[in-house]
Amino acid sequence: MTDVYAVGVGMTRFGKYPDRDAFDLGAEAALAAIKDADIDPRMIDGAYFGHVYQGMNAGQRVTGHIGISGIPVTNVENVCSSGATAVREAQIAIRAGEHDVVLAVGLEHLSSKFRGALAPEEGDVEGAVGLTMPGVYAMRARRYLADFGLTHAQLGMVAVKNKANAAMNPFAQYQKTVTLEEVLASRPIAEPLNLLECSPVSDGAAAVILMTGDKARQLGKGRAIRLAASALRSGKVESEPSSMTFEPLTRDTANAAYEVAGIGPEDVDFAEVHDCFSIAEALRVEGLGLFEQGTYLLAVERGEAQIGGRLPINPSGGLLGKGHPLGATGAAQVVEVVRQLRGEAGQRQIDSPRVGVAHCRGGKAAGVEGAACTVQVLVR
Amino acid sequence: MTTTSAEMSQAGMPFVPGVLEVGPDGKGHLVGAHCPGCGASYFPARSVCSRCLRGDLERVPLGSSGTLYTYTVIHQSLPQFETPYILGYVDLDDNVRVAGQLVDVEADAVELGMRLTLQVEPLASQTLASQPLQSGEVGEGKQVLWFRFRPEAAASGPPVPPTGKPPTGKEQP
Repeated sequence: MTDVYAVGVGMTRFGKYPDRDAFDLGAEAALAAIKDADIDPRMIDGAYFGHVYQGMNAGQRVTGHIGISGIPVTNVENVCSSGATAVREAQIAIRAGEHDVVLAVGLEHLSSKFRGALAPEEGDVEGAVGLTMPGVYAMRARRYLADFGLTHAQLGMVAVKNKANAAMNPFAQYQKTVTLEEVLASRPIAEPLNLLECSPVSDGAAAVILMTGDKARQLGKGRAIRLAASALRSGKVESEPSSMTFEPLTRDTANAAYEVAGIGPEDVDFAEVHDCFSIAEALRVEGLGLFEQGTYLLAVERGEAQIGGRLPINPSGGLLGKGHPLGATGAAQVVEVVRQLRGEAGQRQIDSPRVGVAHCRGGKAAGVEGAACTVQVLVR
Repeated sequence: MTTTSAEMSQAGMPFVPGVLEVGPDGKGHLVGAHCPGCGASYFPARSVCSRCLRGDLERVPLGSSGTLYTYTVIHQSLPQFETPYILGYVDLDDNVRVAGQLVDVEADAVELGMRLTLQVEPLASQTLASQPLQSGEVGEGKQVLWFRFRPEAAASGPPVPPTGKPPTGKEQP
């Protein structure tokens, strides 16, 4: 099978941009990735764009901005995994022999679309009774803490860790550390989750240039990072009530990715995971098989998941610290994994990692575990 | 037991199409799907069984009793919901999990595993902070019906007022 390499990455700082739109942000990220790849943009022979709320032909609006109009452009929507799905579609096109050099971009201008809590799918019965996304995760948190005999303070340490990492990331929305006391004293959003345990409303974009291994070697791309696997699964309809403290969807997606990459969870050196809420990080890493079920918060307490720990999780600051412009998030995770594997992550650099994982998932409707989940494995 | 569309339009409109019905006795219930092949139950109703792929699922009325799996108190929500409110996932005895609001109970008295009863009732405008798409009355005195959970002992009385009459507000705590 054709090898696929990430040869260029770029992103905007995540944050709130009242004076810019998603397409302008997407163009900034794409140009940064092209510059980082150091290629002639005319080599790009296909482009994939992931977003949730940016309307029709968002991708063409970006390629029009940056002088590469005319090439095949595909727009994808897969809730919070939209950017990750754009990366996955790009690598499928390369492996299929359709394209040699592909641009994948995630973009979102959420602050112009929403304030406060996001609801599940429009028209879904759970949203109509008043369930919000923070509410879904708050309920999972309540049950998780009860089932494993853990405290809210132990959960709050996830936010402390991720915001500390974000403070070292110039692309993060929040670059300020917080204390556990501040997390626990922040206003309640959906009990037990407080404001500092919820990812913010963010705008931003992130981009990745992928190419075949042959092309990368031919062009002498020494900093290229191999995209060893990019798996996608959708949540199954539940035929009976099941545990909400474990994620079969994350497990199944991860197993599919590990198999293609020829690795197991024990080979993973660090991971960027979808920590839309503090509890989400525990559910993700346990679903990924990186920690035993019910043990992650204890591992965080022992410092195992911080930069310098045994298995750093979300060195970028994650969604809690870096921000969460829905469609951009999955692409930004790949940007961080590539930077870490290249050794270009500055102050937040992990000590010589070889295998990094990016995990994204999103969407919720009544009777379904989740909508879309992606796991990507990148290897130096 | 299935309500005809004419009867339903007399009693009120479901807040989400197809998720609940009112029987001839005036009592409302959720509508699920049951697989005659493997016995799986679904809410909301589906066309094909995810477990055994049978396509002849029966639409069935769901019972009103269940056990609280987990809950939260929501402080920030969409504009049409007045906060705070308690929201839980309830495992009905029919083996389906349903999200709904809990009323007639203080937040600090809610416990995982407590028994709850589902009641179909008019969606009162006082439940809502602003005028949304849904409201307690629609057009010619028709009500929008939804459901909430109450602790088993607290739930009593006819959940839905007689057909045709507007909500009295008595149903709202």
